[in-house]
Amino acid sequence: MVIRIAAVGDVHLDEDVVGRFRPALEELPECADVLLLAGDLTRHGTEAEARCVAEEFGGLAVPVVTVLGNHDHQCDQVPQVVKVLEDAGITVLEGNGVVLDCAGGRLGIAGVKGFGGGFAGRCASDFGEPEMKAFVRTTTESADRLGAALRSLDCDMLVALTHYAPVPDTLVGEPLEIYPFLGSYQLGQAIDSAPTALALHGHAHAGTERGTTPGGVRVRNVAHPVIKQAYSVFHVGDQLDTDQVSPLGTSGIQRSWS
Amino acid sequence: MTHHRDIDTGPPDEYVEAEIQRLLAEDPAVAEQGITVVRRERALVLQGEVESPHRRAEILRRVSERFPDVPIADDIGVIRTQAPTEIEQLP
Repeated sequence: MVIRIAAVGDVHLDEDVVGRFRPALEELPECADVLLLAGDLTRHGTEAEARCVAEEFGGLAVPVVTVLGNHDHQCDQVPQVVKVLEDAGITVLEGNGVVLDCAGGRLGIAGVKGFGGGFAGRCASDFGEPEMKAFVRTTTESADRLGAALRSLDCDMLVALTHYAPVPDTLVGEPLEIYPFLGSYQLGQAIDSAPTALALHGHAHAGTERGTTPGGVRVRNVAHPVIKQAYSVFHVGDQLDTDQVSPLGTSGIQRSWS
Repeated sequence: MTHHRDIDTGPPDEYVEAEIQRLLAEDPAVAEQGITVVRRERALVLQGEVESPHRRAEILRRVSERFPDVPIADDIGVIRTQAPTEIEQLP
């Protein structure tokens, strides 16, 4: 069983970018069963910018599934943005999931935007001022919803989609001081609570592509400035050409899942 | 001996860097969080990548307007959007 996943995040569309991705997107059916967008689709989260996203990523020959990013919240027009995207046939996830029938099996995708807080041993705590508690609780609630969504899906292969990073591995290249604003270990913990095969995120423009959760789930930072191409393609499954596969052969804590 | 900066020479460089960093994110005409400000001997270098040449030009215009006396060097690229030539296989 092999499922082919294309992904990119942080495309920050506005009128000046419309059309740049489209030639590469037209090639998607040849190499991927689905396109996942890891948030920050727009610059300011306006309805007008969402229409640019719909024009660029709508009407493709493969299903498109997305989460929103922090930029998509900037102008407080999230309901309008979501409606424009959904009207264009793009599935928007926030604390829920979707299962797609692909040639290689049923692909389950659970998604949240996520939030910051930092990583194990060097993270913010739910303590002190109301503002700090609200910050940390936002992340906790988001991670809880991601974990619940991941565990709820009945599928052959499970993918987690977030905007914020679940591990520090894929932040290497960013200043250490801003790691708490780039992601949280709680997202990684949620990903490890289910038999996740792959976790995709964006947000960290100066980070690196590859990492793993403490539970061994492969994590990929697909922020556009990191991958430097229209999208990356991952062929995930257990029937791959062994001459080409990555040496890492296990994923998730619940190894019995297949 | 402690060197005391003459108040007429403007704010210390670190504050200028901080202000540029915030301007890049908070100015609606820019809204970029991925641009790094690096202090070099002869200029402040703006590094990073954006989605269009128009955005790079706008960043340089805004920063130059706000800090006309600060020498700015541009090292901002436009991110490529070609289709991938390789896939990653994950067993």
